Amino acid sequence: MAATTLQSESKRRARKRLYTGLLFISPWLFGLLVFQLLPIMTSLYYSLTDFNLFGSPEWVGVDNFVALAHDKKMYLSLYNTIFITIFGLFPQIAFALVIALLLNRDVKGKSLYRTIYFLPTLVPAIAGSLLWMWLLNAQYGLINEVLGYLHLPAPNWLLDPKWTKPSLILMGFWGTGTTTIMYLAALQDVPKLYYEAASIDGASPWQKFWNITFPAISPMTLFLVIMGLIGSFQYFSQGYIFADGNGQAIGGPENSILFYAIYLYQTAFSFLKMGYASAMAWVLFVIVFILTIIVFKTSAKWVYYGGEK
Amino acid sequence: MKKSRGKKSLILFTSLMLVASMGLSACSSKEKDAASSSGSGDAPKKETVEIQFWNPFETDRSKKVEKIAEEFNASQNEIKVKVLGNQDDQKQLTAISGGAAPDIVITYWNKVGPWAEAGAVLNLDEMIKRDNFDTSQIIPAALDRMKVGDKIYGFPISMSMANKLFYNKKMFADAGITAPPETLEQMFEDAKKLTEKDGSGNITQIGFIPDYPWIDNVFWPIIFGGSWDDGNGKLTANQKANVDSIAYQASYYKEFGNEGIAKFKSGMGKMETPQDPILTGKLGMMIGWENWYIDNRGENGEIGVAPFPYPEAQPELKNAGMVSPVAMFIPAKGKHPEEAWKFMQYLLSEDVQIEYAIAHGSIPILTKALDNPKLTGNEKMKTLKDFLESAKSPNLKGFPNSIYIDEYLQSLNEETEKALLGKISPQEAMDTVVQKMQPIADKDKK
Repeated sequence: MAATTLQSESKRRARKRLYTGLLFISPWLFGLLVFQLLPIMTSLYYSLTDFNLFGSPEWVGVDNFVALAHDKKMYLSLYNTIFITIFGLFPQIAFALVIALLLNRDVKGKSLYRTIYFLPTLVPAIAGSLLWMWLLNAQYGLINEVLGYLHLPAPNWLLDPKWTKPSLILMGFWGTGTTTIMYLAALQDVPKLYYEAASIDGASPWQKFWNITFPAISPMTLFLVIMGLIGSFQYFSQGYIFADGNGQAIGGPENSILFYAIYLYQTAFSFLKMGYASAMAWVLFVIVFILTIIVFKTSAKWVYYGGEK
Repeated sequence: MKKSRGKKSLILFTSLMLVASMGLSACSSKEKDAASSSGSGDAPKKETVEIQFWNPFETDRSKKVEKIAEEFNASQNEIKVKVLGNQDDQKQLTAISGGAAPDIVITYWNKVGPWAEAGAVLNLDEMIKRDNFDTSQIIPAALDRMKVGDKIYGFPISMSMANKLFYNKKMFADAGITAPPETLEQMFEDAKKLTEKDGSGNITQIGFIPDYPWIDNVFWPIIFGGSWDDGNGKLTANQKANVDSIAYQASYYKEFGNEGIAKFKSGMGKMETPQDPILTGKLGMMIGWENWYIDNRGENGEIGVAPFPYPEAQPELKNAGMVSPVAMFIPAKGKHPEEAWKFMQYLLSEDVQIEYAIAHGSIPILTKALDNPKLTGNEKMKTLKDFLESAKSPNLKGFPNSIYIDEYLQSLNEETEKALLGKISPQEAMDTVVQKMQPIADKDKK
């Protein structure tokens, strides 16, 4: 008898603590529900309707999704997005790792270098894009000037549809400061002990990197790949500015920088097809979701958590 | 047991929050409705009604609108107009769709079609008929842009037009060209004379670039007498005139080379900066709008002005040009449509139109104002003289307004771009556009 009272007493206390806790996070919870969950759920409903933002939505079932499956422009935008993910994201992560490895060495003025590599990250995407448009200018740009000295072909970076995406990727390398800093933090967490042991065993620098460093920082790589994937699929500002700043229509020369998110924006706010745009958003969600799961599943093979190796 | 209890109450709490938040948003819209219905019920007392007048202009230009509103406010005491500038179309869209619409709005003309068909813009036909407002005094090409089908959803407050050829006088003299070209065929020949290349084949100066400063899918077909629909929902962008207009533009690319033009273009300075190509003698000719190069167009200026050339075989198309009005409309959900309409009529009166045109350096939209000495005699309007005169031309046209206007224009843009570079033929390009857009137009007609 006494035991049960005690038990229910502790239960009550636990419940009280839960409520107090919820009360404390309620402002955030409220925000999450009203500004995130509610719009997300509403967009799911809109994706099944014909909705122009002003009138009331008209139920059309899966029509939007069917139309989307036949939308050539959607596939083009998806291609552009995947292009920038494969040729942008992965090389950029590798580049950031190389820089982080260099910055992790004991060189003079280490902190100065770290600051320099991080600085571009502080420049807003729009300002950075405008700056790069000058560097990439085909006639007077610094980059073509250098290429000219080296007797290399000087492409028309901003106006030739073949080169617009590479331009954006090139610019992306400039903004890898955050990735570098995160890698740097991970590198400094690798126990020195391992390297000492490896040195005694006569391991080469490459063996040390491949067998110690890379596995040890693999959780960070996983994190960066997943966040990068999500970010890449939402690629917007730079592509938008590159077209706009050149006096071109959204999408740039021959729609070569029409990314999925840009097409979505255009569909929603220029063409006022909110239902269709909502459907696009959900398709994007599903794509990113599946890719994230794939990365997660494969991660068992290449990601090691502390001491598991 | 303990765990599931906790989970249950968590779910309960979450759903309560969700319900509360939904209730809150519903509540706020109800309150607004109540406020608006009580606002219209105070007829007997003649209180001053305050109306919100939004414009997309930057502060300097918005101040000019404000001045006119202040004069209106001083002229009577029933309506007080409050001006808010810097409200671009995105902000307008947010306000109107969010149920907090202003009473009268200045916007870009191509927004009127989509917003009107979506039900966000008040149809003015009834008020026009009731008050016997004479719409025939408005320049037809400008008023047409405010219509969807035959219904009027707004009025132009001013207009811009592209119907002139601007040319660099010195380049013409250097190339031995004594008079600006009259026909498009002469223009092409002049463009060749004005183009120079350096030793390695790079273009150093060019006579004309048809898609500078942008691909114009409205201007060019108008010059060739084209159109985009037949008024009954059949799209006509693939008719001969439209196709010819693209073929003509493409001929410049064929003549000077895609790569060459692209490279030259990328190195050109921005318009109306010290590096501007037509001011610095890099570009011989361009399409002329009334509000461009105001300071460089006079007798001593670098830039000469002539009517834009016409196709040799069609002299009846002389003085053709494109009209792009600035629109004003009354949102359907505005709280004071009557007061807004009164103010709108004030803005359309002759004296105000002239004042507005002078302040903004634009063209008034009343035909009779074009000859008013108050306008033509104004020192500031001197450089606009040719434009004011040609604003009477019956060959002025514009793009039809509809819910799918932006999509139509975008599609024209995408295909024209390919045709200019010779990747597809002009006919293929326009056929593709019509194929894509006709079903959308049909759906809209239903």
